[in-house]
Amino acid sequence: MTEKKSSIPVPVTEPWTEEFWKAAKQHKFLVQHCNDCNINIFYPRKFCPECWGSNLSWIESKGKGKLYTFTITMYGVEPRFAPDLPYVLALVDLDEGIRVMTRIVNCDHDQLQCDMPVEIVWQDINEEFNLYYFQPVK
Amino acid sequence: MKGKLAIVGVGEVPTGWYPERGDWEMINTTCMEAIRDAGLDKNDIEGVISVNPMAQPKLQSEIGFGKIPEELGLKGCKDICIVNAGGATTTNCIRMAEHWVNSGIAKTVLINHVTRHSGITLADAINFFATAGIDLQWEYPFGMSYNGVMALQATRYMHDTGTTPEQLASVCVANRKWAMLDPNARFRKPLTIEQVLKSRMVSTPLHAFECNVLSDGAAAMVVTSGELAPQISKTPVYKLGEDVLYLGATATQRKERRMGRGPGAAQKALAQAGLTLEDMDILEIYFAYPHAFLMLLEALGVCKPGEAGRFVMEGHTSPGGKLPCSTIGELSRGHTGSGVSTAYYVECARQLMGKAGARQVPNARYLLTNAAGGSGMNMIWSVWGRDIP
Repeated sequence: MTEKKSSIPVPVTEPWTEEFWKAAKQHKFLVQHCNDCNINIFYPRKFCPECWGSNLSWIESKGKGKLYTFTITMYGVEPRFAPDLPYVLALVDLDEGIRVMTRIVNCDHDQLQCDMPVEIVWQDINEEFNLYYFQPVK
Repeated sequence: MKGKLAIVGVGEVPTGWYPERGDWEMINTTCMEAIRDAGLDKNDIEGVISVNPMAQPKLQSEIGFGKIPEELGLKGCKDICIVNAGGATTTNCIRMAEHWVNSGIAKTVLINHVTRHSGITLADAINFFATAGIDLQWEYPFGMSYNGVMALQATRYMHDTGTTPEQLASVCVANRKWAMLDPNARFRKPLTIEQVLKSRMVSTPLHAFECNVLSDGAAAMVVTSGELAPQISKTPVYKLGEDVLYLGATATQRKERRMGRGPGAAQKALAQAGLTLEDMDILEIYFAYPHAFLMLLEALGVCKPGEAGRFVMEGHTSPGGKLPCSTIGELSRGHTGSGVSTAYYVECARQLMGKAGARQVPNARYLLTNAAGGSGMNMIWSVWGRDIP
């Protein structure tokens, strides 16, 4: 019997994104916030891309959003993702006004619809990293 | 800018799969053909600007450090450069050549591309395409691929417009009809909508026939100033206008409405040329995936939102249609990486020179073409003509 094992690559981080991934380990999705511009930023930057300032902080996302678009990946991915097939790659718009690439899990593929409400669900990768996936709101 | 640069010669090897064919054989063949086509002596070439073969590091070094003029014995060559902007590379080669030929650096410049995917191990090729233009922190861990990011766009486009799978598939069929007339296309057997929809689902809504097939290819062109062009060639092809919009490196940062803004650059390019969309005899639209072709037709204003699928299905963009589009047969041609764009510019020149054989659009005088890099980081539009209006 062969074990179905994914070898998902871990995110290649920057010093200023380490806090994001530390929080992810605690199942918290942090959204970077510029205190001067009062905007939410994704992905987290060293400097605010609007004002170039460093007055940046984090807010915790409520983990709710809408499915902007999705694709059921069936075939033709590199070997490391093959054990996961089929998987649902997606773009989700979080209520905090940012868009993230993610996967949709715990769903019937036939029921997926653009704009359907989704909520965050965490996927443990290893001791250091959790990835944020989403599932339809039941 | 208008009419300051002209293409005076082109060369190309058929797109295919050539594990036995050397990179340098393909480079030599295409460059010699382009120089002969321009009616020039090899020693007339004063500069060489090459498309970077991103997935082939050895070749990248050889070309980047000046091997082409030595290999071809270009005794008049003054300088070389290698350019890298993904699918937008050829455009940048042309831009740089425009500067060289108008500033006295070189009177004539050879621009060339070669990509030989068959020379790369499959694993290396997949790994290259999996990570080139894909963010390693925010995209790659989720299993994004080029097919995936384009499939995401296709799903939303179909949701917003009601475009059907049959209409999407009809883009592949229109492409195939052009490819069947093109000895340089890789896939030339007849193709039906049913066959497209029966092919393996790769990433919904995209079937195998709706995705690119990595291929080998090489092409070259000789360019010169608008001033010198008529002395060199009876059929110079002039660059009449160009504009571009940067859209963003990562998919999550590109709002779909911005795809709609891209063609604003097309209007500016047309305005520079002093022409309108109605003056265009061909739209040489580079799109890589079928829904993107439909989105671009709608964004250009050729069709109202949601009507491009029907337009294509009715055959208007196919050979003999009222608006010939993408005459190199795009999806049926085989994907040569950054070289697809080179192939488009070469085809633009062939059509306007009257050298496009069975797919020649009668009396083609002006055309609009585009290019884009990465997974859609930018959108470049340019207008070309066989005269300067």
